[in-house]
Amino acid sequence: MSTSPASQTSDDASLVLAAREGDRAAFGGLYARYARMVHGILLAKVPAVDVDDLVQDVFLRALPRLCDLRDAAKFGAWLAAITRNRANDFHRQTRTNSAATDSLSEYEAELPAPKPAPIAEAAMILGFVRSLPDAYRETLILRLVEGMTGPEIAKRTGMTPGSVRVNLHRGMQQLREKLSQAALSTSIQAHARSGKNSAAPDKNSLRRRTEP
Amino acid sequence: MNDDYLWDGSGEPDPEIQKLETTLGRFRHQGEAPEFPADMPLRQSRFWRRILPSHWSLGLRLAGATAVVLLVVAIGMFRWSQKPYETSGPGWEVESVAGTPRVVSSAFGKRAKAGKLGVGQTLITDSHSQATISVAEIGTVRVEPNSRLRLVTGGKGRNQLALDRGTIQAFIWAAPGEFTVDTPSAIAVDLGCAYTLQVDDSGAGLLRTTLGWVGFILNGHEAFIPAGAVCATRPKVGPGTPYFEDASPSFREALSKFDFAANTPEERSAELGNILAASRQRDALTIWHLLSRVDESDRRRVYDRLATLVPPPSGVARDGILRLDQNMLDLWWNQLDLGDVSLWRTWERSWSRDRTSGK
Repeated sequence: MSTSPASQTSDDASLVLAAREGDRAAFGGLYARYARMVHGILLAKVPAVDVDDLVQDVFLRALPRLCDLRDAAKFGAWLAAITRNRANDFHRQTRTNSAATDSLSEYEAELPAPKPAPIAEAAMILGFVRSLPDAYRETLILRLVEGMTGPEIAKRTGMTPGSVRVNLHRGMQQLREKLSQAALSTSIQAHARSGKNSAAPDKNSLRRRTEP
Repeated sequence: MNDDYLWDGSGEPDPEIQKLETTLGRFRHQGEAPEFPADMPLRQSRFWRRILPSHWSLGLRLAGATAVVLLVVAIGMFRWSQKPYETSGPGWEVESVAGTPRVVSSAFGKRAKAGKLGVGQTLITDSHSQATISVAEIGTVRVEPNSRLRLVTGGKGRNQLALDRGTIQAFIWAAPGEFTVDTPSAIAVDLGCAYTLQVDDSGAGLLRTTLGWVGFILNGHEAFIPAGAVCATRPKVGPGTPYFEDASPSFREALSKFDFAANTPEERSAELGNILAASRQRDALTIWHLLSRVDESDRRRVYDRLATLVPPPSGVARDGILRLDQNMLDLWWNQLDLGDVSLWRTWERSWSRDRTSGK
């Protein structure tokens, strides 16, 4: 976030060129820089339990195809396109277009208590985000889940800052409406006012809960 | 609410967003970089190394390369002779939803490349066909039966369609002003929205916004149409006045006559009286637009009615509105509580300046 767009692009380009020459450390640098973006795009489209594996798969697919990338400075947009294609492939292979929603239902089904527990709340909110139009959910997940700022999302994905800002604003507007409809908004605001930290479990515990 | 915190984390923190960050942050990426296989081929020449085995001798590889070149040339010549017309420049993906939509070159009436709508080409649906267009990376457009839609311009920051007839449903998430649709009687400018646009054979149109905002412009007439509102347009007249669909029948009838049927100033003035009398608070959308569509004497009546429905905020003076002070009009618009204007107002002002300067 502290780097300027120009230097960022330049760094990407030099890392891509080095990776093309076989420099694994350079590709590792690209991974460190773009893993959150890839993870976020996937999380917007596929079940959470499959995302980590798919992140690695996306990078392993991208590595041998670096030579096909004409403009090394556009690595981010190129990788984002590969990621979206991989998510689409995932759905074609599994033939479960609603897999993401189904997975969330599974999480909820495991909850014995009638009062929504934090994991259910997190899963339900993620479900609401995923129910938004593609552009909104992808951008919102990069912002709210992966912790990227709007300018960072624009730099990484190759979208214009204006589009990202619009997507964030409208997506958040629609998300608020959905939360409000589900009466979750009240709960969130109450938590925020009281300053309590949610005890929502992390992703690994979520994975453990859903494993057979 | 100011969205600076949502945008880059600056400004006053929004507690609801902070809570969402905390809750959803549990799903954040935490994985370590994988071990990238050391034997994975990283550097490939783009073509020859892929198709010619590396253990071949130089002579064999040259012969193979020559054979491949000859084969490619032969295939290319064959395909060129059979190739449908294809324009240069960007093309948008077209997918059939029903029936057999056709994409043709407007220049030659020749069949165009399947699955793409290029600049200058026209997508035609008959009574049994429907199609979906992916608009670059900024949205989708569904083309209903009996429609004729041309791609005028496609590119970063500027995407322009022309709907000659029929119906489209557009859902656009581009920045305001980047996507426009020409019709014979008005130009629909996306201000961040989903909307339906219909054009009949006479060129008359109807725009219905379902999400966000749409601007409708032609020859100095402009209308801003929020979700839930509609706006009609007529050839040689341009956009009428937008209104909410739940307005009373008498209000709608008077507005239609005011916009398109009244021929004399007296008739328009009479219909204006009917509009004002039948207006509710929600119809402030329409009344605000009328401020700039009537002459000064009628404008006083419009001002008084709008002031009753939505009192003018601080900074808005009667004489300023009567002389159509743009800043005051903007301030009053904001008071209508019809949406967050900050996203699209900058563009609208820029657009107004361009029009004034004749661009």
